Amino acid sequence: MKEVKDKSLRRQLCPTNFSFPQLPIPPQLTLLPLLRRTILPMKLATALAPMLALLTLAPILSAQAVQPAGKTQAATSTAPALSHDLSGVWMQYPDGDVPGVPGMNAVSNRTRPSLTPWGQAKFDAAKPLVGPRAVPGVENNPELRCEPDGPPKLLNLPNPFEIVQIPGRVLMFFELGHIWREIWTDGRPLPKDPDPTYLGYSVGKWEGDTFVVDTIGFNDKLWDDSYGDPRSDATHLTERYRRLNHDTLELQIIIDDPKAYTKTWVSPPKLHKLEPAWEIAEWFCVLDEDQAYDEVVRKPAGIAPSK
Amino acid sequence: MRHRTSLPLKQTANGRSSRARGLHHRVLEIPFATALAILGPALALPPNSFAQSGKPSEAAKTQVAAEPLSHDLSGVWMQYPEGDVPGTPGMNTVNQRFRPPLTPWGQARLDAARPLVGPKAVAGEENSPTLRCDPDGPPKVLNHPNPFEIVQIPGRMFMFFEEQHIWRTIWADGRALPKDPDPSYLGYAVGKWEGDTFVVETIGFNDKVWADAYGDPRSEQTHLTERYRRLNHDTLELQVTIDDPKSYTKPWVSPPKLHKLESGWEIAEWFCAADEDKAYDEVVRKPAGVAPTSNK
Repeated sequence: MKEVKDKSLRRQLCPTNFSFPQLPIPPQLTLLPLLRRTILPMKLATALAPMLALLTLAPILSAQAVQPAGKTQAATSTAPALSHDLSGVWMQYPDGDVPGVPGMNAVSNRTRPSLTPWGQAKFDAAKPLVGPRAVPGVENNPELRCEPDGPPKLLNLPNPFEIVQIPGRVLMFFELGHIWREIWTDGRPLPKDPDPTYLGYSVGKWEGDTFVVDTIGFNDKLWDDSYGDPRSDATHLTERYRRLNHDTLELQIIIDDPKAYTKTWVSPPKLHKLEPAWEIAEWFCVLDEDQAYDEVVRKPAGIAPSK
Repeated sequence: MRHRTSLPLKQTANGRSSRARGLHHRVLEIPFATALAILGPALALPPNSFAQSGKPSEAAKTQVAAEPLSHDLSGVWMQYPEGDVPGTPGMNTVNQRFRPPLTPWGQARLDAARPLVGPKAVAGEENSPTLRCDPDGPPKVLNHPNPFEIVQIPGRMFMFFEEQHIWRTIWADGRALPKDPDPSYLGYAVGKWEGDTFVVETIGFNDKVWADAYGDPRSEQTHLTERYRRLNHDTLELQVTIDDPKSYTKPWVSPPKLHKLESGWEIAEWFCAADEDKAYDEVVRKPAGVAPTSNK
């Protein structure tokens, strides 16, 4: 764990013109898990508190590669991609999807189809912590109640995940919320009528060099992303993983949710960088620490963009 | 948990039709909140309501002739009830009979604990961290009346606990325990094989959760040792030793517990969600709690 003491460093590392909120950074927030990846668990007292800071400071997570995501990233490593191997700890590149915010937290606002009336009502009711619609003090993110996150929201958090492949399954471990998820690769079909769950029921298979994951069986208690985009129980999520080279993983998200969107939401691929020295730390969302969380995160200012 | 191999795939994919028989299955099929409500009465049932054989430990040792797999603990394991406390399966506690005397600090902690189960349970006063959906850690997660799965990959062992969807990493790449780990719910765990026994050492706990569902304390000084040994193909033995000088006057060495391989099960999604807290209050906290029918 490495402290981020130098605020100028943060700005320097930030690839966009995003301005940080004016809230004073409490001492424990300086213990950001951002640059500490080589070594282990963050203090639990800070487990909730840095959520905001993480979201805010997301861009510096890729501190060594400040250039925005794009095809250039794929060319930086010359090592060939491993065949049908996605193993490792991956960290999303910031993509600046929306000016003024890191853009990591959304599926892709630019490509989002129009909402159905049901979707619009859900969206209107959502008061996100981040993004253009964030309003300090009224946030109602499910994670504020420590509800477990599920895909696709999990896939866009500014935090690392690890992929482990074992026979018949691909396991994904997400640092935020200490969530794990399994993708069945033993040839089974999707279930006909799965019980609604946070994570859904996932099966995956290789199509050439692309690992294609299909997930259904979601509940509608969560959002599609941190911007408050709705996720209904009719969602069929497709994730397409492709390792462009040894150090770069491409992930494309396709959301088919006719209850929430008027057509399929096909988002452009996002890139992830292999972080061989990182280990996924313990980061639980704990209601017990909710009061501290309220003090340092919710009350001061929220993290609405300054645009 | 779903059947994996014993049913056709089509049925496997359909959760409802493929759920196995057994009380815990029905419990696990429903949201965590409701599950705990049902868990209470379940604990009052005699142990053999969980298993086909009345004496699981003996039966398990002789039932299966297959040799244990060398250094392989993979699979979904379900603890046998052992009837540690009459009237309850005894699954939820480390082992009351062997618990050493408490230190003053430990006693104060235990006195403050209001468990949902066990002889100290008092209906309506429960304050188990579980009620706030705090994540459970070892050794408490090891004693839940719910299955866990072990997955081994080079350098690591994973444990997936169905209750609360907890996962845990045990490093088996030869690294040492850290000198000064940050306190955490799961602690920092390393493991290695000693003959046919996989020995797991864990330190770096916080003191926010209990050592078991009976409210026994767990301080941040806890050094937990777990010894896993596969007695035969279908039987896993787990012996837990808790060295926590802040809570207990000497190490708590509990006798081994047995676990049965459930090759047809899959770990289901079972989150503790605060969203369901209201319903949870209605069905669990307010009505009656789950105090056992007999005390000891």
